Amino acid sequence: MSVKVEASHDGIPHNKVMGMGLILALVSLYIAVAASYAGIQYLAFFGGIAAVGALIWGNSTIKKLCSYGIGTGVPSAGMLAFGSGVIAMLFAAKLAVISPFIVPIAGLIIALIVGLILGWITNSVLNMKIPVMTRSIAELAAVGCLALMGLTVVATGHVTFAEITSINFEFLGVSMNFYDVSYIGAGIIAVSFMLGAIALQHPFNACLGPGENQDRINMLTIECGFLSMIVMAVISFAFVNSIAAWISLIIALIGWYWSYKKYFALSKRDAAAWLDAKPFSDAEE
Amino acid sequence: MSAIAAKPGANAGAFQPVASVIAIILAIIFIGVAYFLGNSGILAGGAMLPAQTLVGIIVGAALIAFGVHFVPVGGAPAAMGQSPGIATGVAMLATGAGLAGLFGGAWAASLGFGVALAGGAIGGGLMMAITCLMVNISYVYGMGIPAASGKVEKDPITGDSQAAYKSQGTEGHGLPFISYVGGVIGGLFGGLGGTLIYIELLDFYNASFPALNIAGEGASALAVGLAGIFAIGMFLVIAVLSAYNITGTIEGPHDPKFKRFPRAIVAAICASGICGLVALLVVAIL
Repeated sequence: MSVKVEASHDGIPHNKVMGMGLILALVSLYIAVAASYAGIQYLAFFGGIAAVGALIWGNSTIKKLCSYGIGTGVPSAGMLAFGSGVIAMLFAAKLAVISPFIVPIAGLIIALIVGLILGWITNSVLNMKIPVMTRSIAELAAVGCLALMGLTVVATGHVTFAEITSINFEFLGVSMNFYDVSYIGAGIIAVSFMLGAIALQHPFNACLGPGENQDRINMLTIECGFLSMIVMAVISFAFVNSIAAWISLIIALIGWYWSYKKYFALSKRDAAAWLDAKPFSDAEE
Repeated sequence: MSAIAAKPGANAGAFQPVASVIAIILAIIFIGVAYFLGNSGILAGGAMLPAQTLVGIIVGAALIAFGVHFVPVGGAPAAMGQSPGIATGVAMLATGAGLAGLFGGAWAASLGFGVALAGGAIGGGLMMAITCLMVNISYVYGMGIPAASGKVEKDPITGDSQAAYKSQGTEGHGLPFISYVGGVIGGLFGGLGGTLIYIELLDFYNASFPALNIAGEGASALAVGLAGIFAIGMFLVIAVLSAYNITGTIEGPHDPKFKRFPRAIVAAICASGICGLVALLVVAIL
């Protein structure tokens, strides 16, 4: 039933992009987890780098999946990815009671298991008959999990369930746990859910069609990732100390500005013609 | 690319008996695992509560999957007035209806189970009713096209003839009465299912927190946050799977694609089984 429409063949093959994105995401997450374990908050920005890495991988997967007509549009893939990713990510965070260092890899494995079952359902029960469907949905669930974990680290500096569900305050010498102002209790996870899902589904949706280029999509992915990171860095002022939050914010702003300029240049390169229109025309001329 | 996929093959609607049976067995295994984990004390509330919660989640998911098939989803062709329905994808529409219902149900959660479910259903139905009305207003007065279905000769409810109003080269346009009714019914089912998932999870988390030493300031807010994000996540998974089932666009309950709904329900049962089990495990006593 599916017709494959070839997206651009140029550039790096999917498996290589996947490997690079996965390694970037996992290494960044482990740096952030190690820093949080050691009590250093200043490295929380590595979560944003992890999210960008996962998103690059995810966009390559979406490009591969959506080159078969799935009929529901590209955004649905992003929503599915984060819908299954958030479940895997929170369960992985729960496993931090064993050791915080297993959280990223556990999230990856749980998301792959959930994604494989969902992919099998799509391909067999729903009879989609798309060869890459099972693998793509498994990959997307893993991407959703890792990207959400990265954004969580930017906002809170932690990946453990205890730290993202409660905030410990010293009040008159008594240590108290507050749950309603935490990352999950206050519902901030819903913000990161949507920011991540939009960053995942937007780049290919915006760039698909004739003249679509891998480097341009990847640059837009990086731009979207940093744009989401800016918002999470602003939110992080509530959870980490202000110097760490400023570091995250400045890195996110620099990354976003750099990638936006690059994306703009690549769009100019790929455009058939470029008219530098001005907002107001000069009446005298 | 979605334009190509809008033309499914001949066997796309076929039911898959073997895969469906395997999916149902998998779902029963997930419920069994929840029962076993509750029995062995890893999940709180004894043997029955986790299994009951998972069954509630699965019923909610099945309702969502059924409801999605009623919603008139037009996609990109509808935005150009070339096919009937609301001019966006299932993911957006079902999410809008489901989340509106979920919020309605969540506000009413303290008033009891039945009131909360009714609140959720009415929230979802109201959201779809308003959406369908405004969509038709913009179609009729903005784009200047009448509502006409391309799939049936006469509207099954009002009996109005459709073919005479259909423009050549299109599959119909606008939102005929049957599509409007379908949208409202879909919103009712979606809101009901989403609220059911939310309330089941909320009750389970509230029952589990004492065993995890989560008590005191704002513990109930944490339960709301957790149950809410899981309900949203599961809702999106089920809605997108149902969207794959109808390959993107559907006119409403009179569309031939509507007959595919058993497949989506089987898929939703299995998918919500695994997602719900992982959601229960988040409050496991390790």
